[in-house]
Amino acid sequence: MNHKSMLLSRRAFLRGTGVALALPWFESFAAAEPGVEETPKRFLSVYHPDGVGLPLKSDPAWNDWSWFPRGGEKDFELTKVLDVLEPLRSEITIYSGLSHPAARQVHGHSNADQYLTGAPIGGEGPYRNTISLDQVYAEHAGDFTRHSSLVMSTNGGVGGPRGAQTQSFNREGRPIPAMNKPKEIFDMLFVTSGKDAAARLARSKSALDLLIDNTRSLGRQLSSRDQETLKQYLDAVRDTELKLTKAQKWIDTPIPEVDTRNLHLDAEPKEARLYFQTMYELIYLAFLSDSTRVATFQLGRENGEGPHDLLSLAVGLHGAHGLTHEVKKPDGWKNLGTYNRYQAEEFGRFAQRLKETPEPTGQGNMLDNTLAMHGSASSSFHLSRNYPIISAGGKNLGFTNGRYLKFGKGNEDNQAGAGIDTDAGWTAKVEVEELPLSKLFVTILQRLGVETDSFGGSTGTLTRV
Amino acid sequence: MAKYSKQPMKTLAITVLLVFGIACTIRAVDGQATPISLEAAKELGRVKSRFLKQTVADTKPIEAIPTAEVEYFQKSVAPLLHKSCLACHGPEKSEGRLRVDQLNPDLLTGADVERWREVYNVISNSIMPPEDAPDYSLADVDRGNIADWLSGELNKASFVRRSSKAHSSFRRLTKYEYNYALQDLLGLPYALANTLPPETASEDGFKNSSELLQMSASQFESYREIGLKALKRATVSGERPQAVTYIISMQDAMDKATSGKEDKTFDKSDESYRKQKNQPHLLNRETGKGIRFLDRKSMPVPDAVAGQMPAVSPVVLILPRSKELKLDLDRFLPDEGIMRVRLRAGRSTMKADEYASLRLIFSAHTSNNANFSQVISEHDIPVTESGDNPQFIHFDIPLSDIQRNPFRKLTTTFPRRDEFLHIQNVSNAPGREEQLHVLIDYIEISAPFYEQWPPKTHTDIFFASDNKGNEEIYGREVMSRFLRRVWRRPVTTEEVDQFMALFAKYRPGFSTFEEAMLEVLATALATPEFLYLTQRVSAEETQSPTRISELELASRLSVFLWSSIPDDELLKLAEQGKLRETEVLADQVKRMLADPRSRRFSQNFVEQWLGLDRLNSVTHVTDSSLKEAMQHEPVAYFDEVLRHNHSVMDFIHSDYAMVNERLAAHYRIPGVFGPDFRKVHIDLQSNRGGVLTGAAILAMNSDGKDSHPLKRGVWMLKRILDDPPPPPPPNVPEVDLTNPEILKMTLKERIADHRNKSACISCHSRIDPWGIAFENYDALGAYRTQIQDKPVDATSELFNRQTLAGMDGLKKYLLTDRQDQFARAMVHKLTAYALGRPLSFGDRADIDSLTAQLRQRDDGLGDLIQLIISSNLFNTK
Repeated sequence: MNHKSMLLSRRAFLRGTGVALALPWFESFAAAEPGVEETPKRFLSVYHPDGVGLPLKSDPAWNDWSWFPRGGEKDFELTKVLDVLEPLRSEITIYSGLSHPAARQVHGHSNADQYLTGAPIGGEGPYRNTISLDQVYAEHAGDFTRHSSLVMSTNGGVGGPRGAQTQSFNREGRPIPAMNKPKEIFDMLFVTSGKDAAARLARSKSALDLLIDNTRSLGRQLSSRDQETLKQYLDAVRDTELKLTKAQKWIDTPIPEVDTRNLHLDAEPKEARLYFQTMYELIYLAFLSDSTRVATFQLGRENGEGPHDLLSLAVGLHGAHGLTHEVKKPDGWKNLGTYNRYQAEEFGRFAQRLKETPEPTGQGNMLDNTLAMHGSASSSFHLSRNYPIISAGGKNLGFTNGRYLKFGKGNEDNQAGAGIDTDAGWTAKVEVEELPLSKLFVTILQRLGVETDSFGGSTGTLTRV
Repeated sequence: MAKYSKQPMKTLAITVLLVFGIACTIRAVDGQATPISLEAAKELGRVKSRFLKQTVADTKPIEAIPTAEVEYFQKSVAPLLHKSCLACHGPEKSEGRLRVDQLNPDLLTGADVERWREVYNVISNSIMPPEDAPDYSLADVDRGNIADWLSGELNKASFVRRSSKAHSSFRRLTKYEYNYALQDLLGLPYALANTLPPETASEDGFKNSSELLQMSASQFESYREIGLKALKRATVSGERPQAVTYIISMQDAMDKATSGKEDKTFDKSDESYRKQKNQPHLLNRETGKGIRFLDRKSMPVPDAVAGQMPAVSPVVLILPRSKELKLDLDRFLPDEGIMRVRLRAGRSTMKADEYASLRLIFSAHTSNNANFSQVISEHDIPVTESGDNPQFIHFDIPLSDIQRNPFRKLTTTFPRRDEFLHIQNVSNAPGREEQLHVLIDYIEISAPFYEQWPPKTHTDIFFASDNKGNEEIYGREVMSRFLRRVWRRPVTTEEVDQFMALFAKYRPGFSTFEEAMLEVLATALATPEFLYLTQRVSAEETQSPTRISELELASRLSVFLWSSIPDDELLKLAEQGKLRETEVLADQVKRMLADPRSRRFSQNFVEQWLGLDRLNSVTHVTDSSLKEAMQHEPVAYFDEVLRHNHSVMDFIHSDYAMVNERLAAHYRIPGVFGPDFRKVHIDLQSNRGGVLTGAAILAMNSDGKDSHPLKRGVWMLKRILDDPPPPPPPNVPEVDLTNPEILKMTLKERIADHRNKSACISCHSRIDPWGIAFENYDALGAYRTQIQDKPVDATSELFNRQTLAGMDGLKKYLLTDRQDQFARAMVHKLTAYALGRPLSFGDRADIDSLTAQLRQRDDGLGDLIQLIISSNLFNTK
């Protein structure tokens, strides 16, 4: 079938009606054939709960253990928290002064849900979320790969409202369950039987055949004008058919074989290092094999508790969440900083691995075609402002790295809300100006090739990025 | 008002002429000198109607192919136009880029129909020539002659152009229609179609407009998913599942709470009871002994059966106003099915000005800051009986549709797994000595709850049959019956064959007949004949416009009045070819309007006609019960006018209002108690009546802080007069709010200043005066006489120099001079909605004819529905 011409005529039809419509995502089908290669553009977001260390300048710990860098855009200096990223300096960007406006006075523990969505979920009462950044991109790029996205977290499932255990939310704002067991993720990615799927597909195909027949016979009894309207329905059925054909192709396409040497598929969160590294390695393999181009990974849940609070065991510390409450105790800032440092280290290792891997089908290395984000929805104790965000890679997408980008006004040295360990922080009035994080998201979407000018109720991009 | 139309035609014509003259005299000195009542204005305006002067024969659509009457124009119309219009719209000056001397007088073939339509509007509405240009004034007789000629020619032109068929009524069902269709088809009362994308509104504000109802692949897939999911909800398999049942008897709760804790009890006669009585507590009404209700965990009672009728207990839970009973149900509620919450409740006092009702809330608190709570009952249910004679109340909640605690199945205890049901007393009871409380003595919570097994929704699809043993024959029976409802027409054997072939393919993949069949039925729900409103072309059809079939009429009717598919009675009549019989059709319309499903018509039409959606995007109405009441008022009002066949002029003004307690308080109308809307008579001092002064309209056409005359003016022109102003030109200069001169001005002065800029004047002088007349109403729609200590100035002057003295003046003007325009607008809006397509010039003659008939029948809204349904437009493609 000649997809291009069909899509063209459909576009022309929509234009002809004089109606401004967002073209459905199926429009990207023409190129959505396995084997038709274009350098993949990838997106990863890693979320860590509980924020980072933000001591006051007057605190002796400020010098070493404040998360944000010092200095200007290019000549910034990393503290001990992020110095593990120094070797990757030219591949990363660090941001300050960004947050989601609706969450600025909501308790930080409620906010993992809205980090990638920007939705005004509030702190209590009825709960409604919206689509997350990764899923907007997955709608765009998901057809190129076997899996439209890979959604992971240490805790798995969806969590509860205002206590998310997934970073991904679909078009209706419903949470997408995250996978947390390395073995299951590996099987899903690289060992699939596809028997059930094949039977389902066959059924769908027969149903579509009937619907096409039925539509044609109705069409013969309509005026030529009404047939035009009905053609839209027929196009929709045919687009769905194409999708099935594609799904069938994936079933028939052999699953890629990958190098499993770095995987410890039985690792559990309490074996923090092994677990961390295995999860990152799974994302790496999924990207390398082009099984998906979109991934999210949430480390722990806000407010800790449970086995997943033990990730800090990797650096010999207990209870990751507790670290944020104990900053005023001896070595408190140092301990929190040490854990954040470890998170950065693992993220850096992943970025380094992408950098060292040449792009299988294109130019440069894999990191150049991947935008990997690392961040949290609170900077300091329960405070949903000034999100600590790092991005790595994306050179071929248009990102210029090696920079520390400060946004907003009045908080150039990141002292607003610093040094607090009480709820006086997040309940306080917002005194400094920050920019909506969604503006960065719009920039990211545009560079990933999604035509949009707004996200999460915010319009426009971030300049300087 | 009725007395005119019930007289013979000739008398009417004479009366009209006489009163017409008088009315004009009054209008000449109108405004200051001779205040007339709104009722009198209604009477006066009515006799001015041009539509009433026509005989019925005149307004009938033309049968033969008409020709243009150019000769008459040259002789009688052109001289008048030249005398009164040419000075401003001729070779010297051509204001509004109009030259009347250059318009082609042949409207049937000429290119100037649209311009002529404008001329007709300004002449017939006495907007032109301007009143301050006496040299060019038109005598009433002359005005009438021009208007008559133009209206006749426009009608002929419309008839000729109708055959070009600008728009079609073939369209997809809207999201809400699809939802209702599925609900009615399967007998499921829940929102089923939430995952479909919302519809775009047409320029008229309608969401059912054919050209905007698109289809995409992802939407198509949603239909398939929704259909299958709904079918699975309607049907059951296997044995009746064991229900999880909680029983909370207040006698038991009291026994447990008091055992060994006598010291915690109190007595109703104690002085300290004052402190307790406004908190939920248990009380023995016979002994007066009470104790606080302890929020303990409730556990399901094994083998308990719901629906018990225990003897009324003296021990009750006292639930004061706004207070709630919070029940911890732990983690045992099933994932799916109906949760029936049944309880026995009564009132502590029976004062007529107090009400109490119950509301259900569901919540969980899984860990610090990870929590949710949501209202799960669709409506509050009033408690009306006394505590001595309590009543059973029940709520049915679909468990799969509400937010649940995702951790409820954890094997560990953290995050917390519990789910909470709150029963809340929503009441207006004031803090009197003898407070109105709700008394509850018995509660049952049971899920999944079934009235019968298998449920009716199941046996409606998989009905009893002797052929149940034979899958092929029985499958065919099931399929035929289902398809007939889905397609709203009889089905052929060949059509059923197709689906049975699909069934044969599916059957081996499923363990039961029903499972395989559901997949096939779901496919039927994705066919275009379910999703679209069809209009077939028959083979012999050559000329247009042609009639739709009776079956198509049945669907058009039910979508119009029920926003859904036809029921069996309609379908049968259509199949028998009886539906078009005049009496039958009229009876069916009556039956349909009496059916509760017709509330959907009031709801959807009014919401779209008036654009009530916009209230959802304003942020300054923060009181949710006020907002809800505001939004419902126009719907309740329309419903009232419809059901009593009141005049559509009541939408402009009436001496009654539809309010509930919350809204009545907002309007300062005394003596209204309770959440239900009811009709109350109002006097002039209330400054309400009709839809123009509805708080929703006023609030949504505000800017968040204050009234917004421009928005209100535009709204008025678009929604009420069907005379939308052109969109604002690009590069409009903004009002400079940094300019101190401008900041000093009142709003009205600012508007005047803006209007006087040459780029703005032509449009704004048509819009602003309408909006300024609304100035006595603030951003919440409350009536005011002062703005920032200055008296409100709501007097404005229309483009035609007509003075509008506030809302009263506006209403008077509309009733005296614009009745025809409003009646026609109403016909236009309702017909566009009924047909599900935008109206074009080609529909003009039919709309005029309908308007004339409406006016002859005293403008009754109920009559109008009947007229539209029996009209040519409604019965043709």
